[in-house]
Amino acid sequence: MLEKFKTYLQKNAEVDDKQFEVLSKYLKTQKIKKHTILLHPGEICGHSFFVEKGLLRSYTMDDAGKEHVIQFAPENCIVSDRSSAYFNQTSDFFIDAIEDSEIVYLDKTFMEKAYEVSANYRVFTERALHNHIRHIQKRVSLLLCATAEQRYMDFIKLYPDLMLRVPQWMIASYLGITPESLSRVRNELAKKHFKTS
Amino acid sequence: MKTRNIESVITPPSPHFVGDGFRVHNFIPYKADMQRMSPFIMMDYGSKFYFPPTDKPRGVGVHPHRGFETVTIAYKGKVAHNDSAGNSGVIAEGDVQWMTAASGILHKEFHEENFSKTGGDFQMVQLWVNLPAKDKMSKPKYQGLTNEQINKFQLPNNGGVVEVIAGQYQDVKGSASTFTDVNLLNVKLNKGAVTNFSFPAHYNTALIVVEGNVKINETEVVPTNNFVVFQNNAEDFIIEASEDAIVLVLSGEPINEPIAAQGPFVMNTRAEIIQAIEDYNMGKFGYIEE
Repeated sequence: MLEKFKTYLQKNAEVDDKQFEVLSKYLKTQKIKKHTILLHPGEICGHSFFVEKGLLRSYTMDDAGKEHVIQFAPENCIVSDRSSAYFNQTSDFFIDAIEDSEIVYLDKTFMEKAYEVSANYRVFTERALHNHIRHIQKRVSLLLCATAEQRYMDFIKLYPDLMLRVPQWMIASYLGITPESLSRVRNELAKKHFKTS
Repeated sequence: MKTRNIESVITPPSPHFVGDGFRVHNFIPYKADMQRMSPFIMMDYGSKFYFPPTDKPRGVGVHPHRGFETVTIAYKGKVAHNDSAGNSGVIAEGDVQWMTAASGILHKEFHEENFSKTGGDFQMVQLWVNLPAKDKMSKPKYQGLTNEQINKFQLPNNGGVVEVIAGQYQDVKGSASTFTDVNLLNVKLNKGAVTNFSFPAHYNTALIVVEGNVKINETEVVPTNNFVVFQNNAEDFIIEASEDAIVLVLSGEPINEPIAAQGPFVMNTRAEIIQAIEDYNMGKFGYIEE
């Protein structure tokens, strides 16, 4: 159940078979059902989740009980709460499964071992961290100043197949718009691009 | 006459829900491979299941299809359908909806409003029929066939009736038009009736027992909700009704082309799937309200 994670490390951090064999001893995998909650606010979660199969998301809930999606994590993505994974503080987020999923737990021991075993791993994680910050910067900027259509266009570029896997209200929540606005954006696009003949 | 032998009798796998309105057992591709069963690339069978009354109709919201046809056969209950090509209708008991998604369609399927309010037994088959590469991007089409519009062959000696949805049975031609040679027969047999079927040996052939028990080729007893896949060794097989029975018989010419399938899209290549996803995201399938 570690196939995708192995390929991910081979491709990105040039970890070879032998190194992976050492590292795999520090990995825990789990199959979870749709709707399983992996992290609740107030808990401390000492690991990140790599998605081998399926789809996870992180989200917050406001006082009125409305969910706000922070991140989707389909196959080959990592999702975590950094407050708890890196600063040992309680989380503000939920992490749950939107589909039946297979996940790999990445904890501190694994990270330390990976730094030890592979020099490339440190270079890779640094780059991945900057890439993640770049993504967050862009997301903040889109949420502050982009139109609903611009946010949607960025979303389908980043997550091409999620419109097929995730209910529209959840995507609207990620985009910070109402489901009605998302529907309007899709209707406008259809008017532009749908040819009946 | 050489007998077309049974390859396997498949008991219904555990059901799962499609949306909140369709409780189905998947026979193709979960139990029988889609290339093996071509042109039948998906078959969900909703065995008889009671849905209690509700004010909010259960079903599946807006979703796309490209590259094939969806065929819905209603045995119990009613389904309301709307699509982005402007078609809508209700499929009631005995009716068939033959929707050609082809180049792309958005549709939604819900239990009909009054059926939802009263609740009741629900039983359906949904079949996906593949399209050859040359027709995958043709214009979407919709054939709503009420039971009265379906051509029928009356079996002799009060044996029952064969509803010829598509293809041909004896001298009766099917009501639905198809892109490749597809036979879809809804066979309603009275107890004791025996009837035979003949399709070219290379046509992939199967049946599902919707009601009652039947005996096939004078030997194999097949109970309700079981799916039978036939070998491609010969043309003919016989169905005998051990009690009043309904059997859906499917037989079609295989489409020998590569299949690339992801979710609601069935194309020939991975690149065409990526294109379908992109077109769907960009509104090229049109729009209908949630």
